[in-house]
Amino acid sequence: MDRVIETTLWNYLRENCLPQNCEVVYMDDENLFDAGILDSAGIISFVCFMEEEFSLKIPDEDLLPEYFSSVASIAAYIRANTMRTS
Amino acid sequence: MIWDLDNTLWDGVCIEGEVRVRPGVRHAIEELDRRGILHSIASRSVGEVAVAVLKQNNLDGFFVVPKINWLPKPTNIIAISKDLGVPLDAIAFIDDDRFEREQVSYMLPDVMTIEAQRAEELPLMPPFIRSEITTEAGSRRQFYQNEQKRKNAESTFSNREAFLNSCHIRLVLRSPTEEDIPRVLELMSRTHQLNTTGQVLSREELIKVFHGKSGQTAAVVADLMDRFGNYGTIGVALAETGPTSWTLRYLAVSCRVLGRGIERAFLASLLSEALNLGFKQVRAVFRDTGKNREMRVLYQMMGFRGCGVSEEDGTMEFHARINEAIAGPPWVEVTCGFFSLT
Repeated sequence: MDRVIETTLWNYLRENCLPQNCEVVYMDDENLFDAGILDSAGIISFVCFMEEEFSLKIPDEDLLPEYFSSVASIAAYIRANTMRTS
Repeated sequence: MIWDLDNTLWDGVCIEGEVRVRPGVRHAIEELDRRGILHSIASRSVGEVAVAVLKQNNLDGFFVVPKINWLPKPTNIIAISKDLGVPLDAIAFIDDDRFEREQVSYMLPDVMTIEAQRAEELPLMPPFIRSEITTEAGSRRQFYQNEQKRKNAESTFSNREAFLNSCHIRLVLRSPTEEDIPRVLELMSRTHQLNTTGQVLSREELIKVFHGKSGQTAAVVADLMDRFGNYGTIGVALAETGPTSWTLRYLAVSCRVLGRGIERAFLASLLSEALNLGFKQVRAVFRDTGKNREMRVLYQMMGFRGCGVSEEDGTMEFHARINEAIAGPPWVEVTCGFFSLT
């Protein structure tokens, strides 16, 4: 499976939510809230980025821990909700 | 309040020679500062020169995140708004140059623009008048300056969790007294993002709640401190404890403390308290104000699910089941001073 979505998400987080000199290697299943990377405001900007980047509409009622706690779960949500052109 | 410098804050152009602070400007700056209104700068000039002039005049300490550069003013105003977490509709911009004012009005219609000649009238203008001045207001600038220290300290860490753990963040929950009323009113009316309903109670209603005379509704306030300083009272919640149900009616947390999980720590403690009282099924009220999506997400991320919208007033009810004490972020130490939700 290609990791385009995961890489895009990590790039955003690295640029916007992590210290510039971040040396920690995070796994895809790291809980982003428990790691202090996202909070209630951070997730909103992150969701706006995803909507634009992956051309999808994420309804508020989908912003649930099972979908939006980790890069792995977010990537799975995006895969399940984007139209595949290929 | 965002200031232009040359021919606005002072007469003359500082990179060309001597300048003199304009009459009435110092008083306006000091007075607005006392009222908790922050000052910043968006000015085209050479940073070191302009800052030196501010220092000579003992004015440098009044400004937070000044932008002295050659960028367009709307760009600098947006940057200041982001740095401070202050929305554009809470920003005013004063400049002598009509082009600059018109440009800002055109690009950023939410920003209020003011002609430089009117600087000395600032303390009399309605947007800057405060009926009550809270302790938090007087120390607001100090707060942003501490915040800058916090950000500098953060940049030395390579791991956000380690940084947050090093801050010794302490949240104290307590029952409010009448002395807290001005600050609670200020939080209710000025907090937009982290505000579950946008409701503002009157002073009389608050007094009733604080004295336990408002049926089953009780209030809790939260004070915050960390190793950089004291933030004062930053949150308020109203909870209704009935014989068979527990409902969180209202929750607001100051946007000044965004980005460190305070709202999550506050909500987790309230839910744990509800569980202590024996409630495993809890409810929470939310009303979409167009600005508070964060709070809806907070509820949902903490296990709440939306259960329909009231046609009467547009409020949504959220339900959650709690089976065990809910943990907030581990870097926030929560102390429950004496407070009771019953």
